[in-house]
Amino acid sequence: MNKRILAALLALPLATSAHAQDTGAGPTVKVSGFGTGALTMSNTDDAEFARANQTRGVKKDARTGVDSNLGLQADMVINSWLSLTGQGLVRKDAQDDYGAEATLAFAKARINDELSIRAGRMGVPVFMISEYRNVGYANTFVRPPQEMYSQVPFNNIDGIDAVWQNAFGDVSLMSQLAVGRSKADIAGNLEAEMKSLVALNLVAEYGPFTARFGRAQGKLTITGSAPVDGFLASLRTAGAGYRMPVLSALAGELAADSKTSSFTSVGLGLDWNNVIGQAEYAKRKSDSYLNDTTSWYVMGGYRIGKFLPYYVHANLSIDSSVTNTVPAACPAGFPAACRPTLAALSGGVVQLRSAGTGQGEQSTDTIGLRWDIYSKAALKFQVDRIKPKNGKGLFVNVTPGFSHAVTVGTVAVDFVF
Amino acid sequence: MKPFIRMAVATLALAALPALAEVVVVVNPANSEAVSKDQIANVYLGKSTALTPVDQADGSAIRGEFYKKVADKDASQAKALWSKLVFTGKATPPKELGSSADVKKAVAANPKAIGYIEKSAVDATVKVVLTP
Repeated sequence: MNKRILAALLALPLATSAHAQDTGAGPTVKVSGFGTGALTMSNTDDAEFARANQTRGVKKDARTGVDSNLGLQADMVINSWLSLTGQGLVRKDAQDDYGAEATLAFAKARINDELSIRAGRMGVPVFMISEYRNVGYANTFVRPPQEMYSQVPFNNIDGIDAVWQNAFGDVSLMSQLAVGRSKADIAGNLEAEMKSLVALNLVAEYGPFTARFGRAQGKLTITGSAPVDGFLASLRTAGAGYRMPVLSALAGELAADSKTSSFTSVGLGLDWNNVIGQAEYAKRKSDSYLNDTTSWYVMGGYRIGKFLPYYVHANLSIDSSVTNTVPAACPAGFPAACRPTLAALSGGVVQLRSAGTGQGEQSTDTIGLRWDIYSKAALKFQVDRIKPKNGKGLFVNVTPGFSHAVTVGTVAVDFVF
Repeated sequence: MKPFIRMAVATLALAALPALAEVVVVVNPANSEAVSKDQIANVYLGKSTALTPVDQADGSAIRGEFYKKVADKDASQAKALWSKLVFTGKATPPKELGSSADVKKAVAANPKAIGYIEKSAVDATVKVVLTP
């Protein structure tokens, strides 16, 4: 999608609909928006701190690119049962410039008080806050915990979904089932595509408590990575040349070509008097070089008037990767080049475990303060202490050997209009 | 002296209170179903579409009082909750009307509507279901 044209389209509803609010019986258009202006910096020049799927991040110099964004939405109510929604988001994602994405574009049919069906492009409900993760104002923290929210690069689903809203006594239950496909640009000019994507999202609320279960699965294909493709080709060539079928089989296992991948998560929320809490636990599984992972976080906060201090701990760990079946030695009589070739291939398999966005292990401790300065804006201060494990963690553009803990500081203003 | 001081303090306390108009929740007179405070809170926080809510102006005192009393949320909290629903396209916030007279008109015109107004504004066109 041509980003300039999209950006121009995004600005259109603002120009045309301001006066369309009060047309009475006819279709009404409502324009609203959200955004964050933020400055982010870290205490090191050895690595760049970035949100998942950003190509550049911040070092010691404070920058706006990591956490700033702007979203615009137009809702058009056609009649009592049909409405249209379009939303565009400008942020830094996949490429190192502010680009506009069409994040929502769907028609919603309200079947009855409990059921509505949507078709088009919707948010894919992978995480507890996946659909509003970019709306800073709707969240306590500056950014969703990267340990978990880096694990699925897909933001949207193109397809159809059904949302049921039921009440069972004092428990309200929201059930959502989405089917379709999803595409995402990945940092480094890669493209990820999930076909046959099915996502289930169940949210139960009882008084101040929220509980959530989510499961998304589909067939994942990642294209455009010259290093990964080149490496898999080398494995296959060596497998054919040395008559080692195990190498070709390994290439097949590692390749992300229509491989079953899933993400299963549970979440809990609490908003009781002045106490707030939020926690999620998730398992990612993929039949490709993408690691199987466990990610989780716990957040707690206490509201004191307009101030909300909070603490978050988040963790990402690798459960398993594709088994490295590259033989350590060559059969007798093989050419001398065989052994170093195998060593190089074996090293490549190990490298794949940290290749690409969201591949790594780390934990973060975060303290922050949200201050509701006015009914439509919040000011946030946040400090993150990030500890990479077994390598560079989720940092990007690291200097060789980087593995130390990093402190990141952020000041952000979130607003809605 | 003491009673005088006590009286002075009491007078001061009274004077310091803003003229709080009592808020009442109203529905269309044709609506005969009982609604609880929790149900009303759910409707106004976008968790239920059983009724069609109308709001008073953003930042108005009566709106702040209603959300505090019925949903136990202040304006910012309600806004944050709604922004979750609005920007995911799950729901659109209640229509905002400028005065209790406008709210009454909207509630009287729609059998599924619900609103909140000052108690003094109640008349036969609407039915009070809750005085929080």
